[in-house]
Formats: sequence, C-alpha cells, structure tokens
Amino acid sequence: DGLQALEAFVKNTRTGRAEFTQVVTAPLREGQTTARSKTSSGSFEFQRPAHFRFLYRKPFEQTLVADGQTVWLYDVDLNQVTARKQAQVLGSTPAALLASAPDLKALQADFKLSAAPEADGQQWVQALPKARDGQIQSVRIGFRGEQLATLDILDSFGQRSVLSFSGFQANPTLPAETFQFKPPAGADVVRQ
Amino acid sequence: CAAPRRAPPADTPPEAAWYGRLALKVDSLPPQSFNASFELLGHAEAGSLRLFTPLGGTAGEVRWQAGRAELQTGQDTRRYPSMDELTLALTGAALPLPALFHWLRGEQVTVPGWQADLSQLPDGRLLAQRLDPAPVVDLRVLLDR
Repeated sequence: DGLQALEAFVKNTRTGRAEFTQVVTAPLREGQTTARSKTSSGSFEFQRPAHFRFLYRKPFEQTLVADGQTVWLYDVDLNQVTARKQAQVLGSTPAALLASAPDLKALQADFKLSAAPEADGQQWVQALPKARDGQIQSVRIGFRGEQLATLDILDSFGQRSVLSFSGFQANPTLPAETFQFKPPAGADVVRQ
Repeated sequence: CAAPRRAPPADTPPEAAWYGRLALKVDSLPPQSFNASFELLGHAEAGSLRLFTPLGGTAGEVRWQAGRAELQTGQDTRRYPSMDELTLALTGAALPLPALFHWLRGEQVTVPGWQADLSQLPDGRLLAQRLDPAPVVDLRVLLDR
C-alpha cells in the first residue's frame, strides 16, 4: 500500500531526479465562482539527507537549493538571492522534507502517516502535520511502485499545491555542484 | 430574495487585484529580505495581501481596514493599530501601502523619503526605494503577465 511504497522510497531512493509540473489553486474568495490557479514547471533533484534543488523554468525562472546548511532562493527577474538557515525553513515544506528525510522515522517526527485508498493508478499516503503552527492542513503523497508521482499539499489558508513528477530517475549519480549555489555576479544577496 | 448589494460610498477608491512577485530588501543590521509571490486585493483603506512560498504554500496573509491591521500565519494572528506598524514589525521598515496602490496604477504620488520608478510598469515592473530615513529600503515588484 502507500505506506510500504513511502517506506521503500525513503529507504531505497538515496538520490532522485524528475521533471515536475506544479498547479497551485487558490481558495475561492467571496463572490468568486472559479478558483484562480497557476501552473509552473521545472526540474527537481534531491540527495538524502538534506539536499534538494527545485529549478523552476516556466512561467519564470527561480532556483531553490538546499545545500545542507542553507536554503537559497534566487529569482532571476528580481535579481535577488535570499539565503536562510535550512533548519528555519525546512519544517514548512513537505516536498523538502520528503526529499531530504534520512528515514521514515524522521518523517514521522513531523507527520502522522497513514495509507490512503489507491486512486489514479497510484498508491497514496496521507500525512497530517504534527506541528502546532498549522501552516499545512494535509499532504497526500502518491507513488507508482516505488517512484514518487504526486505531492498534493493543502495549506491552512485552503490553498492547494499539486506537484506531479515525471521521468523519475531513482539513484542517479548527481555531481556535488548540483546542490551548491553560487550567487550570480550582480545579484543582490541577503543572508538571514 | 437577496437585498441588492448597497453601492459603496462614492469616495471609496476602486477595488484592485494585483498578482505577481515582490522582492524587498531592508539594509538594516542584520539586513532583512523577502522574496515571494503575492496577491494584493482591495484598496488602501481596506484589503488583503497574501504572500506565497515558491513551492505554492501560503506564507501568510495581511489584512487591513480603518484603524486595524493583522497578520495571519498558519493558526497565529497578530494585530496592529495600522499597516505602518505591521510592516515595520514584519520587515523592519514601514511600507507606504496607499502609495503602492497608486504606483501600481501608474499614478506618481510622492511619499517623503521614497522614490518610485514607474517607467517600466508597461512591462509590469515597479521599483521603489526609500532613501530617508535609514535604513535604505529597496522594493521590486514584478506583476504577472
């Protein structure tokens, strides 16, 4: 079931690479009949523990890199790099947790995990956050076999972010610089 | 049947809806910076600003109306008497919300200590800087196309 797939994924997939499409749907506002949604896409790489990289290419370019100590966010158009201590940021992004958790126990420290019914040809896990700060309502993780296929995150404002992964490669050899971020010349870099 | 929605008072500014990305840098010690996608609704007297993380989550929502401003992050809500005080507490600098609505509409209004470059608004880009008082504040807005 989904829990077995998640356990196998966290244990056996030490590095990974995939393309992703992200659809973010805002909650309906008073007077609205259709929800506003935004689609973006790019590539995703990770290496346990604590390293991941989201490269957004469309509709605009943004890079999010966790190098084990620092999470770097670089927005090309705004020419700004924000660097934050990874410990401060990590807890709030399920995608980052899923990619960098060393084992299932680490995930269970932050989420109450339970198998959910099969759907869309995927085995699902529901993850309810244990954190009291309540940034996230729920997370659903979908697997095709041992391959991560979908991450469906509902936050406490009712905003839903669905990341669909394709072309998943398990355990590729990733060069060290994959998770190193060098701020481009001329970009505004602010460490926090 | 539902009572007709009463028209807002004649002098209420038009409701606005802006979507895009913003980068804010405050040259305080230590420096502060914010980089987020946003949704800005309403007008200077009453409205909301939602900030989103790159991975699609809602980082928080700021809401304001006459004599009150509040910041909600997750289950936590903090209240302030004004948007000046809220933005000062959140970013280290009081941000000129009324002027921002004008600037985004391409209306050049002056705010003591601030300079706004509206020349790139046709490309959806707004640059504003506060030079006085210190610390220097740099605000860049890029509207969704």
